[in-house]
Amino acid sequence: MPVPADGLVSQMRRGALEYCVMALIQHSPRYAFEMIEALGQTGLLTTEGTLYPLLSRLRRDGLVKTEWRESSDGPPRRYYELTAEGRRALAAFRSEWTSFRASVDGILQEGKKS
Amino acid sequence: MTAPHADQLIDGYLARLDAAAGDLPKAARQELVDDVRAHITEARTREAEETDAAILNILDRLGEPAAVVAEARERLGIRAPQPYRPGLLEVLAVILVPFFWPIGVILLWMSPAWHWRDKLIGTLVPPGGYLGLGILGLAAAHSGSGPCVIVSDAAGNTIQNTCQQAGPSWLQAFIAVALTIVIYALPLVTASYLAIRLRWGRQPQPGIASLRMERS
Repeated sequence: MPVPADGLVSQMRRGALEYCVMALIQHSPRYAFEMIEALGQTGLLTTEGTLYPLLSRLRRDGLVKTEWRESSDGPPRRYYELTAEGRRALAAFRSEWTSFRASVDGILQEGKKS
Repeated sequence: MTAPHADQLIDGYLARLDAAAGDLPKAARQELVDDVRAHITEARTREAEETDAAILNILDRLGEPAAVVAEARERLGIRAPQPYRPGLLEVLAVILVPFFWPIGVILLWMSPAWHWRDKLIGTLVPPGGYLGLGILGLAAAHSGSGPCVIVSDAAGNTIQNTCQQAGPSWLQAFIAVALTIVIYALPLVTASYLAIRLRWGRQPQPGIASLRMERS
């Protein structure tokens, strides 16, 4: 059987990645490389370079803010931090996602039984 | 330890990224290149022993510059540049460059289908197309008969005669015919050249096009 709707899956992944990135910095600011390391195992980010356009857009939309900080063990790093608006967006996605996942799971389970 | 070709590899990657991002807004393009440069610097500090292979792996994980830029375009809501399709403007330009030079050249420079180098060639070789050649020919004919001066003394002996032919007449005739052929063929050669270059320009940009196909 062919892989179902590959385009859809990749679109879903792209959309979800945005909020996963925001979730990664909800407790404390992080720099991009840290986020890449955290995302590395998940398969959500296949080409690391594509994280930077995403971060730029989040910043332009006012969902994150950035600050350069000196580091003791490397070059200066740009830290990303959630703004109040970013927190609201993340919270909205979280509740949306939870109900979406429950609905889809429910239907998929139903389909398996019959 | 620094990898032997680290700078070469990294500069090459960043240059390709910068070139691929050519159609992004200037600030976005600069930010993208700066972010990726910082990423590479950061990644290098984590390599226990830096080799060329380690650098290549860092760049591989970043992804193809075209893919990164495609993502940037999508996040910025910018459409990928469509390959330009030549049309009436280009056909008219090719025809008018030899036969009606000033208009042809204006059309030539208006069209985005040619590289500026080709436009310059179309403009300068030969200058003025057939119109320019006509003027040039008139001027040559005029100057040919102009400086022919016969100076005689009182007794009627010729002191100076510039009307004497420089070489045997058959050679002159041959050169004249050859020149005429070359001169009249040149504008057509230029037009053909422009037509050929136009066809090359028609090929869609492979990187972006194939990427878009994969995505959709």
